[in-house]
Amino acid sequence: MGEIRNFRSGNHDEPPPHGSMPRRLAAIIVGDIASYSRLMQADEEGTHVRVKRIERDLIQPSIVEHHGALVKTTGDGFIAIFDSPVEAVRCSIVIQQNLVGRNATLPKDSRIEYRIGVNLGDVIVEPDDIYGDGVNIATRIEGIAEPGQVYISGAIYEQIKHKVVCGYESLGDRKVKNITDPVRVYRVLPDADAVARTRGRRENILIFLLGVTLLVIASGVLWYLLAQPSGRVNEQAAAPTVAPVASPSPQPPPRDAATQAPQPSPSLAASSPSPAPAPSQAPSPSATPLREPEMIAIRGGSFAMGSNDDPTERPVHQVTVKPFSVGKYPVTVKEWNECAAAKACGFTANGKDDAPITNVSWTDAKQYAAWLAQATKKPYRLPSEAEWEYAARGGTQTKYWWGDKLQPGMAGCKDCGDLAAEQPAKVGSFKPNPFGLHDMGGGVDQWVEDCWRRTYQGAPGDGSAWTGADCSSHVLRSGSWKNDSRYVRPSNRDGYDTNVRYPTHGFRVALSP
Amino acid sequence: MQIIRGAALAAALALLPGVAYPQGKTAPKDAKLYFITPRDGQKVRGGFWVRFGLRNMGVTHAGDDYQNAGHHHLLVDVNDPIDSKEPIPQDKSHLHFGAGQTETQLELPPGTHTLQLVLGDAKHYPFEPPVISEKITIRVRQPAERGR
Repeated sequence: MGEIRNFRSGNHDEPPPHGSMPRRLAAIIVGDIASYSRLMQADEEGTHVRVKRIERDLIQPSIVEHHGALVKTTGDGFIAIFDSPVEAVRCSIVIQQNLVGRNATLPKDSRIEYRIGVNLGDVIVEPDDIYGDGVNIATRIEGIAEPGQVYISGAIYEQIKHKVVCGYESLGDRKVKNITDPVRVYRVLPDADAVARTRGRRENILIFLLGVTLLVIASGVLWYLLAQPSGRVNEQAAAPTVAPVASPSPQPPPRDAATQAPQPSPSLAASSPSPAPAPSQAPSPSATPLREPEMIAIRGGSFAMGSNDDPTERPVHQVTVKPFSVGKYPVTVKEWNECAAAKACGFTANGKDDAPITNVSWTDAKQYAAWLAQATKKPYRLPSEAEWEYAARGGTQTKYWWGDKLQPGMAGCKDCGDLAAEQPAKVGSFKPNPFGLHDMGGGVDQWVEDCWRRTYQGAPGDGSAWTGADCSSHVLRSGSWKNDSRYVRPSNRDGYDTNVRYPTHGFRVALSP
Repeated sequence: MQIIRGAALAAALALLPGVAYPQGKTAPKDAKLYFITPRDGQKVRGGFWVRFGLRNMGVTHAGDDYQNAGHHHLLVDVNDPIDSKEPIPQDKSHLHFGAGQTETQLELPPGTHTLQLVLGDAKHYPFEPPVISEKITIRVRQPAERGR
């Protein structure tokens, strides 16, 4: 074990190989200010004073409060060690969250933001410094962390995953400088806000793409209406009689415009390839502008699934979910009726277009997902139970996704604080969770892929659907507008006969990447 | 023109009232719903079987709209009266047997519990008059002390 390197100081020699050297296992925090040299260049004295104040008022007290020891402060950072990995991570989160508050009022380029890396390793402790591989790895992890974030090593993760209540996003094995073995790195998602912020960026891109797509479709419709010879209109009018209920909207024109493009005027033909440039449509070979449910991409991650609130939700177990997409809302009446019009779903639903589809059995839900997958050539499916709960929690571990107390406006249920209703509210009537998903809890019960079992005893930990048993009943999630608030909890689960329809049961779809 | 037609159709659909389900299907007067096991006042231990008895009517799947037939619902510790204008609720205390089951294994925490059966029609509404069993009370004992 001659591989002990100095930490940051070039002129220390290796400590003498002495038997009584104070080695110990410790959780090491390394923190470092992002863009320190830029800050110093802009205002050297001011920055120095502010950094010292943060160290004095925030970093040192937080470390002491969590039973750690500050090893040293460097110009732009600090190193601390803890006996307990749990305390180390908690301390890191406290520091980062306090800094968010301090930075909130400052302009962007004068904010002091720390990157923090945490690792568990064997270290040599000297009065004013520590040495060892474990310190170097913590430094490297800190180096890849985003400003304002806490990144932890796999060793820390294994120790705290069941204990520190927050989300963890696996960033995979990372090769770090001068360390032979790759290090597994996790990002800590301490609060709902942090999750929402990273999502925001992706959402903007999605909204932009959606806008482009809509524009293209709209211009297609406009072309069709303007450049259409009047004879074709009669032909069109006959079409709705085939599926009178399912196509109440002016949706059919673009569909026909695309499929029958070659016949009419050349100007129309020229417009028909235009949907292709929209990147989101590229993979769908048939140009049918099918109404796909709006999807939200969910990054993979790890979370504690279940709760102790009900025997069916025990035991609480750690589950790691791979990246996937899930419907922003439950499938709506309008979306369902396109499947019914294609004769791929069992019945045509009445009700408002933007109401969630209800009175569907698990088999009905599977049929819709299969039809959607076939029509779009994308792997649409039902979410697994683990994916559903992960998405419903939105990175939180509280009783409800918004906290531990009931609040009006968050979910549709019998005693959730809004007026009780005969029908479920239209989708999206309540606030979205940190992942941007609506109605994950309350609204309509939602089928997932898994077979129903009375407990989680023996459940898989990889986020896949737990199938294979006597599948005469499947799992329902979310609770409905007719249930009370206990059913709105993200961990709530129930089973119901696979082939039986019931008026509060609906579903949402998922999509593998 | 065609747009107007489409809009009119959409408007007509939107204005359709909440589509009243047929409810209150009549049941024969001599229909009788009852527990085969357990009996009223019985002491049971841990997981136990509940068997449903039905006379002068038939058991069918939910969704099957046959005359004089329905499917079972088991109400555990429910005190609210049965509302014949509403589908029988679906939650942890209203257990549904829409696949035509006539028995189930129940696990309840130790203590006193009530059980009651309600027959539902194809759309889970109670019949008119409701076909319900007597409400029975059972005592679930502490699980046997085994080396604890």
